Amino acid sequence: MSKNMNIDVKHVTRIEGHANIVVNARDGKIEKVQWQVPEAPRFFEAMVRGRSYEDIQLIVSRICGICSISHSLVATKAVENALGLEVTEQTDLIRLLMHYSEQLQSHILHIGYLAAPDFFGVPSVVPLVPKATDAVKTIIKAHRVANDWSDLIGGRTTHPVTLKPGGMTAIPSEKQLRELQATLKNTLADLETIAKVVLSVAGNVPQFERPTEYVSLKQTNPPTYTFYHGDITSTDCNGKTVLVKDWHKVANEYVVEQSTAKWTKWHRDSYAVGALARFNNNAELLSDGAKKTAKAFGLNKGCCNPYMNTIVQLAESVHVVQSSIAIIDKLLTKGVKQEKVTVKVKAGKGAAAIEAPRGILFYEYEFDKKGNCVAADICIPTNQNHANIQKDFEKLVPEILDQNEATIRLKLEMLVRAYDPCVSCSTHMLDVKFIR
Amino acid sequence: MKKKIAVLGLGNPLMADEGIGCRVIERLLSQADTYPDIDFIDSGTGGMSILHLITDRYKVILIDCAYMGTKPGTIKRFTPDDVQSIKKLAHQSMHEVDILKVLDLAKQLGQYPDEVIIFGIEPEAIEQRQNLSKTISQKLDHYISVISAELDVPAEK
Repeated sequence: MSKNMNIDVKHVTRIEGHANIVVNARDGKIEKVQWQVPEAPRFFEAMVRGRSYEDIQLIVSRICGICSISHSLVATKAVENALGLEVTEQTDLIRLLMHYSEQLQSHILHIGYLAAPDFFGVPSVVPLVPKATDAVKTIIKAHRVANDWSDLIGGRTTHPVTLKPGGMTAIPSEKQLRELQATLKNTLADLETIAKVVLSVAGNVPQFERPTEYVSLKQTNPPTYTFYHGDITSTDCNGKTVLVKDWHKVANEYVVEQSTAKWTKWHRDSYAVGALARFNNNAELLSDGAKKTAKAFGLNKGCCNPYMNTIVQLAESVHVVQSSIAIIDKLLTKGVKQEKVTVKVKAGKGAAAIEAPRGILFYEYEFDKKGNCVAADICIPTNQNHANIQKDFEKLVPEILDQNEATIRLKLEMLVRAYDPCVSCSTHMLDVKFIR
Repeated sequence: MKKKIAVLGLGNPLMADEGIGCRVIERLLSQADTYPDIDFIDSGTGGMSILHLITDRYKVILIDCAYMGTKPGTIKRFTPDDVQSIKKLAHQSMHEVDILKVLDLAKQLGQYPDEVIIFGIEPEAIEQRQNLSKTISQKLDHYISVISAELDVPAEK
C-alpha cells in the first residue's frame, strides 16, 4: 500500500483552461482528493445585457475558440425562441451542417492532439510526429477538412459570422455543397485509419467504472442521434424527457468551496454530459459506420468508463460525417436559395439547448420590446461535469493508490482530459522572452 | 484558393487588449483592396486551427497581444527564432495554445511558410470588457502604419 503522497498538479496540461488536481495521502490513507477549478466564472452573461438581439450570437461566439459554433447556434436558437421566430427547413439543415463541422473539428482535436499523446506515452502532439508521422498527418488532414467545412458554412473557421436570428446571412452554393460532400466521402476512409491507430493503442485506455447519471438531448420525432434538436433526458429517466425550457430543473447549480465554477446535480450527487452521455442515451440511433467503430472498441450502451468518452468521440466523428453526406443530398435535391428573413421584434423570454462537443449547453435570454437583452443565463457543459470529475476521483484514487505517484498522476490527468473540460476559454496571448 | 501571404490577428475582443490582433485585422480589412495578394484573417482564439491557416503560404504575419516585458502599448516585430516561450503550460492545451508550439508542429510536418513575422503588442489591460485600454486604442493608427510597412515589403517568392 502506498505510503505518503502529495500530488498537486497546477494547471493540468492539454485541457482548455486552468484547473488543479490535488491528492494527499499519509501512511496509505487518503487525506484529500480534489478537482479544483480556480478560474473566473461566467462574465459573458453580463456582457450581453443591453445589447440588441441581432448582436448576441457574434458576442458569445468569442466565449470559446473550440466551441464557438455551438455557442453561436444555441444563442441564436434562444433568441429565436424568445422572439417567437421560426426558421425554414433549409436554414435548419444548413445550421446542422455547421454544427456537425464543429463536432468533427473538436473531436479530432481531442482525439489527436489531447488524448493520442497519452495513448502513445508522449507529453504532447509535437513529439508524436516522429513516432507516428502518418497517423499525425491523417489526423491533421481530417482536422483541416473540418476547419474548411466550418469556414464554408460559418464564414470563418472559428467565431462564425453567417448566423442571424431567423435565418442565415450567407449560404453555400450547390457547387460548394457537392465539393464538400465529395471531400466528406473521402474523410470516412481517413477516420477509419485514425480508428485503427487508436485501436492499436486502446490497451492504454485505463479500466475504471463508476455508475453515473448521463444527461443529454433526446430527439424522438424522428428518432435521431441528436446534437441539435429534442428535449432533455438522462440515463435515470427511463426514456422520459424534460422540456428544454425547464432546464433549471435539470442543471441544479450549487456552489462548493474548492471551485469558483458552479457545480450541478440532477437525480444523484453529480451527472456527466458529453459524448459518452449522448451515446448512453441514444447509441442505437448512430449511423452504421459509427456503430461499427463503437463495436470495434467493444463499446456498448451503458458504459460507465469515463475514459471511453474519447472513443465515443471517434464513433461520433463517423456519425456526423455520414449524416452530413445525407443532409447535403437532401439540400441538393430541393435546391438551395438565399432566403429573406423578416423579424418582428417583441419582448419575450426563451431558452435553448444544444449538444456542444463537450456536452449539453443551455442558454436563456430575455428581451425588452425593443429587442434589447435584459437577462441572460448560460450553463456550459464543463460546469456540469465538474462534480462528476470529483466523484470519479474519489472512487479512482483508492483503487490505484498502490501504484506509483507518476502513474496515479497520469491517470488523473488522463481522466480530466477525457472529459475535455474547457475551463477558462477566453485568452490566448503570447508570453515570451527575447533570446537574441 | 489561398493567397500566398496571410496576416492573422489573434486574440479575444471580449478581453480588452487581448483582442488587439482582431482589432488590427478589422482595420486592415477595410483597406484590403490595396493588397489583392494578401488574406487578412481574424483567427480569434482558434488555437490549433491556426496551423491550417498558415500552411501553403510564402509569408505569414501574426499579430497578437504579447507579454514581452516592455512598456504597455509597445509594438515589436520579431521572428519565432528571436523568442522563447515562457508560457506557464508546458504543453499544448487546445485553448491555451502556444502559437510558437503550433509553428513548431508546422515545421515538423514540413508545412512551415518560408517566412513568419510576429508583431507583439504589449497589453495594458487584460480584463472582461470589450473596449481596448486608452493606451492601446490611442496607438492603433501607429500599429497600422508599422504593420502596413511590412505589407509593402515584397515576399521573397
